[in-house]
Amino acid sequence: MAGLELRNIAKNYGTVSVIEGINLKIDDGEFVALVGPSGCGKSTILRMIAGLEDITGGEVSIGNDVVNDLTPRERNIAMVFQSYALYPHMNVYRNMAFNLELAGKPKAEIDSRVRQAAQMLELEPLLDRKPSQLSGGQRQRVAMGRAVVRDPSVFLFDEPLSNLDAKLRVQMRSEIKALHKKVGVTSVYVTHDQVEAMTLADRVVVLNRGVIQQAGSPMELYRQPANLFVAGFIGSPAMNFFDATVSGNTARTAGGEVFAFEPGPKVSDGEKVTVGIRPEHLQLGSSGISGQVSFVEPTGGQTFVTVDVSGQPVVVTVSGEETINPGESLNIITNPRQTYVFDSRTGERVSLN
Amino acid sequence: MTETVAATGLSAGTALSRPKVRRARIRGKWPVLVLFLPPALLLFTVFVILPMGEAAWYSFYNWNGYGLPTEWIGWKNYELIFRQGAFRNALVNNGLIILVSICIQVPLALWLATMVTKHIKGATFFRLIFFLPYVLADVAAGMIWRFVYDGEFGLVANIYHTFGLDAPFWLADKNAAFSAVLGVIVWKYFGFHMMLFIAGLQAIDKSVLEAADIDGATGWQKFRRVTLPLLGSTVRLSVFFAVVGSLQLFDMIMPLTGGGPSNSTQTLVTFLYSFGVMRMQVGFGSAVGVVLFVICVTLAFSYKRIFMKND
Repeated sequence: MAGLELRNIAKNYGTVSVIEGINLKIDDGEFVALVGPSGCGKSTILRMIAGLEDITGGEVSIGNDVVNDLTPRERNIAMVFQSYALYPHMNVYRNMAFNLELAGKPKAEIDSRVRQAAQMLELEPLLDRKPSQLSGGQRQRVAMGRAVVRDPSVFLFDEPLSNLDAKLRVQMRSEIKALHKKVGVTSVYVTHDQVEAMTLADRVVVLNRGVIQQAGSPMELYRQPANLFVAGFIGSPAMNFFDATVSGNTARTAGGEVFAFEPGPKVSDGEKVTVGIRPEHLQLGSSGISGQVSFVEPTGGQTFVTVDVSGQPVVVTVSGEETINPGESLNIITNPRQTYVFDSRTGERVSLN
Repeated sequence: MTETVAATGLSAGTALSRPKVRRARIRGKWPVLVLFLPPALLLFTVFVILPMGEAAWYSFYNWNGYGLPTEWIGWKNYELIFRQGAFRNALVNNGLIILVSICIQVPLALWLATMVTKHIKGATFFRLIFFLPYVLADVAAGMIWRFVYDGEFGLVANIYHTFGLDAPFWLADKNAAFSAVLGVIVWKYFGFHMMLFIAGLQAIDKSVLEAADIDGATGWQKFRRVTLPLLGSTVRLSVFFAVVGSLQLFDMIMPLTGGGPSNSTQTLVTFLYSFGVMRMQVGFGSAVGVVLFVICVTLAFSYKRIFMKND
């Protein structure tokens, strides 16, 4: 086991820069999720850590060693691929044993390690099967078994659950979490699914266009988003945004809606800002901002109500017990402590919370 | 209780409807069969089945192709074939072609395919260059190489002359001619096999090879233990084409050597042509055709049965 550090990592394809100066320190045994939209560079970072992609600039170290010039096999890492990447011509046992065979381990040791990993992941009845005879979830578990068996310094996961159906994804998510608890190996997990990142990781790193937007604990990202991008990316349904102008402790939209907030030191009167409020932080009441319900999405425990406020759709999360119909008029109350305000030009948060 | 009844009812219903479905499916296929089968069947019968039957029939006659075959000689043509030194030569040569294909041509094609599928500059250009000989007509290739091998004016002669040596006449030397022919065969067809391997290599999931990298495989281990097993079906197909191709080899040999000198470069088909068609021995030629057919069918079917049963 070992920690991992990225120092000023950059990646260019010709003249196109896809990763710019990434700095990230991951402690020994920590589980870090890299999350961001497609094309943000998260998989490229993972592949650079694995040694599958050349590093244009900066340094990657595993433990105390800089590994930039080491081949993947010299880095002692294990990787779980999105497509599982199991060897189709080998059975489960041989898939898991392949690395140990290549390392020249004695047969008895290979056997005991493979069986131990198989037991941990409940793969024992499947050891003789070929990957083509396994279900998606089973393949995923074999891919994890292949990674576990070799006792690596770092685990790398490249969107390992995106090929599974929703139910299996939830199940495998908890299995990955349990596995990490058991083996405690430093893990880097790439995903575009913020729910996956939030539920699995000790720390979430949000990326956009090859730049880290914010790194912190899941709740830190949720409660104190550093900028507009993180605020919009973390949370489901996404945060509501309104263009407004600051006036004292309030921000006023062109439509006349007024939002009270707690201003930080950087904000001044007359400044153009974007107000952000999460759907779950809006409440229905008798006073406040008025609007008309345009549609209703019941999900069971909660209902997402889209309200038309001065021509702008605003999503409000209400309890599933409430009965609301399209066309109804509603009033929405905001809480100043849960109202985020961002500088429209830089995107940075300027409210206190 | 209700559940049991419902389940039984469902299975009985399914059992009853199955033959009906099958019948309906067959009824739906009839117009397609009636419309599309007869033309193909007719053509296949007239141009494949009948000639094969006729050849088998003629092979029992001493017949020069004029008039009707009248002189029945039983198995004599067949006895004659197996007594011919030229036929044995042809048989050995076909075997040698298969051997060279498997031992030199296929590995060479596989090696080049692994090179030209790498993301390096000029890979596409080399793919084209390597494939060019295959595009060339067999007859043209035969004629080109006849000039190349020419001991007086050819490329080989020029190379020898550069070093002040007397050039050999390989195609006129019965001990060297077939080796020269084998060289041309490898040159002509490796591009085709290379293309098969390129297709096979491109079908391999890249992440599987990356997983092998991470698992610690060296370049050779990756090839030997991951790429090659995954290319198994392509290798088997490539060898199958090499075997079938060797049995068909004719139009390149004719302009190159015509089967000579002293029948040293005969293949089964050039033997058939030289001894059956050119000498107006249609009965004998038919017998050779039958032998060739039996060899082809046996080789092709047993190869498919043994090596390609899972492909």
